[in-house]
Parts: sequence; C-alpha cells; structure tokens
Amino acid sequence: MKRRLFLGAMALATLPGIALAHGPSRQKIALTAEVAAEPADVWAAIGNFQNMSWHPAVHSTTGNGGNEIDATRQLVLGQDGGPTIDEVLYKYDATKMSYSYRITDVKVEVLPVTNYSSHLTVTPRDGGGSKIEWKGAFYRGYPNNDPPAELNDEAAIAAVTGVYQAGLDALVEKFGAPGS
Amino acid sequence: MRWSRNSVRPALKLAAALCLAALPVSGDMAYITCQNGDALSLFDLDKGIEVARWSLPGQPAGIAVSDEAVFTVAPMAKAVRRHHPLTGEVLAEVMLDGGPTGVAYDVARDRLFVSDWYNARIWVLSGHDLSIVAELETGAAPAGLDVSANGRLLASADRDADQVSLFDADTLELVARVKTGERPYGLRFHGDGRLFVGNVGTNDVSVVDLAAAEVVATIPVGERPYGIAFAGGYGIATNQYANTLSLFDLETLSPISEIDTDEYPEGIDTTSDGQIVIANWFDNTIQVIDPETQSIIATYPTADGPRAFGRFIRP
Repeated sequence: MKRRLFLGAMALATLPGIALAHGPSRQKIALTAEVAAEPADVWAAIGNFQNMSWHPAVHSTTGNGGNEIDATRQLVLGQDGGPTIDEVLYKYDATKMSYSYRITDVKVEVLPVTNYSSHLTVTPRDGGGSKIEWKGAFYRGYPNNDPPAELNDEAAIAAVTGVYQAGLDALVEKFGAPGS
Repeated sequence: MRWSRNSVRPALKLAAALCLAALPVSGDMAYITCQNGDALSLFDLDKGIEVARWSLPGQPAGIAVSDEAVFTVAPMAKAVRRHHPLTGEVLAEVMLDGGPTGVAYDVARDRLFVSDWYNARIWVLSGHDLSIVAELETGAAPAGLDVSANGRLLASADRDADQVSLFDADTLELVARVKTGERPYGLRFHGDGRLFVGNVGTNDVSVVDLAAAEVVATIPVGERPYGIAFAGGYGIATNQYANTLSLFDLETLSPISEIDTDEYPEGIDTTSDGQIVIANWFDNTIQVIDPETQSIIATYPTADGPRAFGRFIRP
C-alpha cells in the first residue's frame, strides 16, 4: 500500500500539469457541533486564521497576513517536523463569524484530496450557546480515472470527515455541550 | 433487450402524451443534474415547481437539451444518456471509455459532442442512438463545449492547455486554436458571433472574436468563473468560490455589478423571457435572477449537488 502510494506520487510528480487536473466529481461534507459557550467566545478561540491550535491534530501554525484576504498559514501536524498543510484565506468576515480558506499544498498521503476549500462558521444556537459549522468541498486525491481505493471519493470523504469531527469534538470538550 | 424496448415505446409515447395532458407544461423547463444525489430534477420555471426528480446513477453533471431530447453525462458511470424530456426515461445510453465531461448538442445535424477530460478529445455521437461517429483532437483536459447559434462552430474549453479549440460543426475540421486566460472551463457562444470563455485560473472572461479567431478583450470577474450566459445586454458569469454572479456589459465589456448567490454557483442558463437561472452546488438550490433589477427573485431546493453544466433550459 505504501509502495503504491509512493509510485502514485512519483507519477504525479513526473507528469507536467497533472497537478492541475482533478477527478470527475467534487465531494462535499458539512459537520456541525453545538456548544454551551456564546458565539463571541467560540469565535475568539477559532476565528484567528493564524492559530489553529484548537484542533488536536495541529502541532503548530505559522503564517503571514493575519486575517486579511490572501493571508497564508502552514499547519504542522502531530509534532515538530510532522506533515504540513499550506493554506490561504480567501474570505473573512468577523461580523458573520465566518472564514473560508483553501489548501494550496498538501501531499495526498497526508490528506487524500485536491482542490480543497473549506468554511468555518459560528452562529448563535436557539436556546443559547453556539452552533459551529465546518464545511468542505474537494476532489478525491487521485486526479485520473479509476482511482486506487486509498485515493477514491470515499477515502477523501472519510479523511476530511475525520479531521472535522476531531476538531469539533475538541471544541465541544473545551466549551461544553449546551445544557438544554 | 432490444425487443422489449421497441415494444414498450408506443406505450411510453402514450404515457408521455398523458403526462403532457395531465401536467400543463407551458413554460420554460430547467433540467438540473444533481451530481452528489445521483438525480435529474425537472423544474417548471413558470410555475416555480419541481415537476419531477428522476434517479440518475453515476454522478451526472453535464447537460444539453433540445425540443426533442435531453442529454446527460454521468462521469462516474462514464455514461452518456438521452432522456425523454417529459418522462425522463432513458431512451439511449452509451458508456464511453475515458472521462466524459462537457456536452453540447447540434440540433441541425443531430450530433452530440462530449468532451473527454482525460484523453484530449471530443466524441462525436449520433444524437439518436449515441453511437460514436467521430473523434476530434483537443488540447489537454477539454471541459465545456458549445455549438454556435448559427450551427457553424463547435467550441471546446481545453482547460489544461489554456486555449479553446474551434471546429467546423459540419465538416468537423479544426478551424483554430485560440489562447485564452488560464484554465478555461466553461464557455458560451453569443448569438452575435462572439465566444465568451470563463478562465478559472485567472478569474476572468476571454472574449473571442470568431472571424479573427483571437481574444479581443478580457473581462475581470469573481473567483473561479464556472459558467457564462447572456440576458439582454448583459453577460453573466457564475463565480464558484466567490458565491456571486458577475454582470458585465456586452457592448463596453466592462463589469457592472456582482450579485450574491447561494454557495458554489455553477451551471447557468437563460429563460425565453430573459431571466437567468443558476444551480448552486453546495447549497442544493437553483436561483432565478432578474438581470434588469439585478436581484434574485426565486430560490428552489434541489437534490444534492446540482451542477447543470451546459445548456439546461428547454423553452
């Protein structure tokens, strides 16, 4: 499996222009979590594009441009020297407590997706507390026809769902589930 | 299988006639391919209702319509299908070995063109039985296709070659390859003899003069222009990432305004009375826009993942 992935990555690297291509069907997921804290408190914790420490998989965040459009960040996963994900901010609205970003560089071995964009939004919850919504749109990791199982649509959906769920679970733990 | 299809055809025709009688289908009909939901939704735009939602396996995205037929492209199934416009029934189906993506129909010659995203070509199919009659060579990753209003030209947006390929729709000869902005994806002919091409890499629209076969203007639009249509004196592009429409003046070619839409606006087409309909992939809606007031006048829910990549309104 590792070897196959490696060969796949080599093929990607040696074919010029292929990184531009993508699979035939874009996938999407949307996960939500509800927490007891007010939206402003939740936004204070997750609304800074330059700090994703609230996510348990993220070891460090470094970047440029703050929360301005086209700001960039690099996430290091797990530990020092761990896998990285490069991202760019393309929408930011503190009033609506929402930001949108894209991955500019990630290895498919780290996250088996391409053309990935994502939105994170905090809204008030009926009855108090907050609702956090995390949405993603992406193509599978394998840009050509007939993908191997680890780079197909299902693998892409499972991987992104896992990332979102881990992040949202951590926020529920931090802020508590709403009482009612 | 063939015998059963022939034998049921008269019955289907009758059913279609009854369906017509039962559903007074008077106005424009929109055929919305819903990729994630494996469905084809049919909207009566005058009544503002979803008349039917047909199951359609293989993650359909591409669409082309005529008075007589509706064609869909389902890339996961590698299937191109011809449907009855009122019952949705699959009247012909072909599996194409490659990455069938964009589709355009030449009604005058009953030919269907389908781009092969993975193999730099266009399949030319018989509109009737979808048999392959020819193949045309394009640049890398051909996506959107369109046939000009006078039926003379076929255009292909060759995304990874940063060009459009123009073919004589009658002889199928290559006429020209025209360099555009970066990564052209959707395109559409205007009736006046110009071709408008949306470039997702440079976030602009290339205006191609067909006589000169060159880009004569470039119009800035929003992030990730996906589809282009026209209404009155306006050109309109759907901006996938910006969640907006960009309106530009067809005469001066200058931007006029941006209109907020639901998320991931993609397919776009024009009704017979000059309204614009778009499909919003993330939010599972279609929206109707009045270009005069530059406002959204209706929003309807669809099945999951509407794309409607192509001309999807049947007057």
